[in-house]
Amino acid sequence: MCDDVWGQLAVERSQVYIDDGTGVLRSPFAGTTIEKLPDKVLLNIFSYLSHREICLLARVNKKWRQIAYDTRLWKDVSLRPDISGLHVGSLESLLALISIRFGPTLRYIELPIELITHTVLHELANKCPNLTHMLLDFSTAMQLHDFSELQTFPTKLRYLCICLSEVIFMEGFMRKIYNFINGLEVLHLIGTYEKVEEEEEEIYEVINVHKLKSATPNLRVINLYGINFVDDSHIDAFSSNCIQLECLAVNYCNKVTGSTLKTVFQRSKRLTCLLMNGTSLHSEHVMAVEWDKSSIQELDITATDLSTECLIDMLTRIPSLRFLRAGQINGFNDSVLKAWMEQGVTKNLVALDLDSSDNITDEGLHKFLAKNGNQLLGLVLSGMPHITDQLWMSVLPILNNARILMMGTPERLGVNIHVDQLMDGIATHCLKLERLELRWDPENLRFSDKSQKAIDTIRVKCLKLKSFVLSDGRYYEIVKANFERADRMTVVRTSTSCRTSIYYLLQNYRDLIFN
Amino acid sequence: MPNIKLQSSDGEIYNVDVEIAKCSVTIKTMLEDLGMDEDEEEVVPLPNVNSAILKKVIQWATYHKDDPPPPEDDENKEKRTDDISSWDADFLKVDQGTLFELILAANYLDIKGLLDVTCKTVANMIKGKTPEEIRKTFNIKNDFSAAEEEQVRKENEWCEEK
Repeated sequence: MCDDVWGQLAVERSQVYIDDGTGVLRSPFAGTTIEKLPDKVLLNIFSYLSHREICLLARVNKKWRQIAYDTRLWKDVSLRPDISGLHVGSLESLLALISIRFGPTLRYIELPIELITHTVLHELANKCPNLTHMLLDFSTAMQLHDFSELQTFPTKLRYLCICLSEVIFMEGFMRKIYNFINGLEVLHLIGTYEKVEEEEEEIYEVINVHKLKSATPNLRVINLYGINFVDDSHIDAFSSNCIQLECLAVNYCNKVTGSTLKTVFQRSKRLTCLLMNGTSLHSEHVMAVEWDKSSIQELDITATDLSTECLIDMLTRIPSLRFLRAGQINGFNDSVLKAWMEQGVTKNLVALDLDSSDNITDEGLHKFLAKNGNQLLGLVLSGMPHITDQLWMSVLPILNNARILMMGTPERLGVNIHVDQLMDGIATHCLKLERLELRWDPENLRFSDKSQKAIDTIRVKCLKLKSFVLSDGRYYEIVKANFERADRMTVVRTSTSCRTSIYYLLQNYRDLIFN
Repeated sequence: MPNIKLQSSDGEIYNVDVEIAKCSVTIKTMLEDLGMDEDEEEVVPLPNVNSAILKKVIQWATYHKDDPPPPEDDENKEKRTDDISSWDADFLKVDQGTLFELILAANYLDIKGLLDVTCKTVANMIKGKTPEEIRKTFNIKNDFSAAEEEQVRKENEWCEEK
């Protein structure tokens, strides 16, 4: 759809002529063709296109081929066809590409299991001295290749992401690379959380964290995502050897209870970001942490079972929190908000996610936002049937700095949401808005013939808006059509294809991206 | 507000606010090197830009005068082409010749914001097309021999769809 529009535009453009005043219609610049553009500019144009498209451009003519092969266009390469990467059919073609096309400018490569062999790794180590970022995907492995002959490995890696399989033991590979990875600053180990449908009978510890941590003393960012065997002892192991640790994420590692957090914080004085979404945190472990002495600034405890007492204790002791994700916690209620606001420090808070916090009232929220709303860059109050446009309309005037807002619940409500007024309110007060999501059921959105005007206003006022997510339905169609008429093609999306998050506001957000 | 005079290749002179003119790094450097900003009578010649294009460039720069400076080229930056603002999209609804002239002017005057948005526009015109369609769209001659064409197809077949 999008492509067609541009294709049409391209054709129209070659046919549009300007009236030069003599009555004869012609373009004064008809002689200026794309071939007049210098190579540097063509390179810039090519850089906006995918590698698959760049390969097609190489077939246009000789000049374009030369530019398409410029190694500067091949700095970041994904070779995982399942995840929108390129598909390299054979090891031979990959080896040829590494020496001819990628060469010394290659900075980041993603390899699927089929292409992770000792010859490929040798070639990358020898030909790509600037390779600093690498992703190795073993998740679909049935069996590990033989790495007994692996002698070298890229030595300048700062970022390594390993996608684990549940049943393949990595040690045969890992012990060959320990000597090469001590410069690593960012490590991602990705488990199979998303792929597992049923409870597995046996859990294998497929990677030896205790050996790995000894090889990686310089880690700043550690992300252990959805790994079924990771528990508190592994967190403890990493913290015992990584004094630079700034960011620790163990989202969806459900064996983690927090029993070693106290020592982790005692050792890792620089730890500012702790993400523990969907873990099995115990309140008593969390309360044992010396929060008042920590430098923690960013915290994700979404979907944990922490008690009200624990939440109050923690939030009133943390000296400077800037980011809190604490949705889906039964214990999070008005008294937590009140205690935090009155006895804790909220002046540095810029991002707050209280998704599906059924025990917080709109009155409690209103009080909290009246005090802290103006400084917030991101606010998520979705999944709460009792939080409607009424609360939002009353707090929008103070949310002047908001860049990310998420509201509404897909559950059917007894009341309707006056979406036109809401849009007007957002457009009037949140001029810096970049991401907006309305999760209400389309049947609950009440709009009128004035809708177009309200949508126009938000489109024109919120110029930085790059993602606007709505549930699929009639209102979505109207908004989408409105934005597309103004050539803002991909701004409006459905909630099935896109989910808004305040994670963009994490200081280490870039280092935390994987996949 | 102090103004300066910019002279196009065909002799037209435009009075432009200095701050707006300085979004061109080329002009900014010229003014600094020559110490011209004090002398309002001085005319800055721009021999590579004709009046029709210069007028459009000034129009673009005036609209964008309060924009934050464009970010330096960042290794990690996500290269998107769908974030062209509606004003820019309207502004760039011109024939191909004018679009390429604007690119040449933005390149010569070193106006990063204008260069980026015009390059994105061309990238969008290329997207989703076969090599033959691209040649047709831009009137490009195929200078490959049949053998070379087969060769370059082979060099790139690895990155076709699975």
